[in-house]
Amino acid sequence: MKKYDTPLLDELEKGPFPSFVKEIKKAAAKNEMANDELGQLEYSFKTNRGYWKHGGIVGVLGYGGGVIGRYSDLPDMFPEVKFFHTVRINQPSGWFYTTKALRELMDLCDTYGSGITNMHGSTGDLVFLGARTEDLEPLFAELTSRGWDLGGSGSALRTPSCCVGPARCEWANYDTLEACYQITQEFQDELHRPAFNYKYKIKFAGCAVDCVASIARADCSVIGTWKGPILIDQDAVRWHEKKGMDINREVVDMCPTQCISYDGKELKINNDECNRCMHCITRLHKALKPSGERGATICIGSKAPIVVGSLLSWVIVPFMKMEPPYTEFKELTRKMWDWWDENSHPRERIGEVIEMKGMRSFLEAIGVPPFPQQIKEPRKDPFFFFTEGDIERFKKREEEEKKTGKFIF
Amino acid sequence: MEKEELKEKIYAFVLAAKGKKKVKPRDIEKGVSAETGAGIDEIKQAMKEMIDVGKLMYSYTGGASSVEIPSEEYLREKGLIK
Repeated sequence: MKKYDTPLLDELEKGPFPSFVKEIKKAAAKNEMANDELGQLEYSFKTNRGYWKHGGIVGVLGYGGGVIGRYSDLPDMFPEVKFFHTVRINQPSGWFYTTKALRELMDLCDTYGSGITNMHGSTGDLVFLGARTEDLEPLFAELTSRGWDLGGSGSALRTPSCCVGPARCEWANYDTLEACYQITQEFQDELHRPAFNYKYKIKFAGCAVDCVASIARADCSVIGTWKGPILIDQDAVRWHEKKGMDINREVVDMCPTQCISYDGKELKINNDECNRCMHCITRLHKALKPSGERGATICIGSKAPIVVGSLLSWVIVPFMKMEPPYTEFKELTRKMWDWWDENSHPRERIGEVIEMKGMRSFLEAIGVPPFPQQIKEPRKDPFFFFTEGDIERFKKREEEEKKTGKFIF
Repeated sequence: MEKEELKEKIYAFVLAAKGKKKVKPRDIEKGVSAETGAGIDEIKQAMKEMIDVGKLMYSYTGGASSVEIPSEEYLREKGLIK
């Protein structure tokens, strides 16, 4: 095995932080692909240039996604990374693995790849880094025979992901794991057979703490919420205070809707004004808890700043029950895709199209009525859909009020 | 319409776009449906079968996926020709 001197990369091993260089070196000790990857990376650092080519036609028969073609621009210098494709594997809901499953996957990665993985990619998939073109079909056969499947890539539904949900978290307002699994199963065609103009991501968060950062990273963010009041245990509030918490500074002053007050004896919440942001519940975790009907808020449109600036998701359905078989969510998703497909050009995310065409036409097309919660910025989002009939009615009322002297302009 | 006939229409649609326009599955579904009157699900299924046996293939350029006529290189790589 050829050994590369890597003085520049060695610098990245110093310090108390985990180092990817250290991990590649470990893989390079037994894998030629990882070894050449190390060599190419050092050369990149030396010359201040990247040498990876990306894209093209590469994948497994029948699927349009799951494999991202990567090639070295220096195949003569680093022949083992001439083909270095990335393979995305659909992760289990909430990223729960048995050690047996992990060992099985790592064995496959050693056999058919560079032995380097990414646990996990930013979309959420388990990623095998570095596979040769000729190894893709055998790897896929091995994976599927063990119950695994590829994830999404290209202009398709990307692998849905979710937080750990009720498996480990008391704040989950719906079963994110089940929702993620069922939606993944429902939209298998959209996941493996790219049919959209660009990517579409769905992320399931059990509450507004949003551990999967769905509000910023998913075209469709499904964020758990509740309808009832926040239940308060006043003794526990005082316990938090005794433990040194400054409740006014850390909770009351931080409430975005200013609906909490605390006079040193009693904590009060005006639930009508609460927007369920979860801040007070996470701080006073022993004292406060949600109550009443549980479900999710459906938001649309977030994306990273690639073509235009970054966007956060925008509320379209303030409350939806998220229970199997998730019919309402599935129907809504299909309607949104139809509108997006009709109105977009290649490489336009749904959020960008809504920005261009307007939330009003989007809501009309998908049949969602206007709700006050959809208003992102007060006095800037006029979603009031006045019909001709409405205007006639207003005029009549105005005339009647003028006659009776009740009209106030 | 017979499935085989529908597959020929789909193939002809993709072939006509070759070198002119990148077509995505939904373009094919809409175009072939308008031409033949076949239902979207029917076309989707026929296209799926064609992709599964290498009559058509997915391609990816500049962030967008499309459907194309497979190259010889692709067919050889998949073991569909020698």
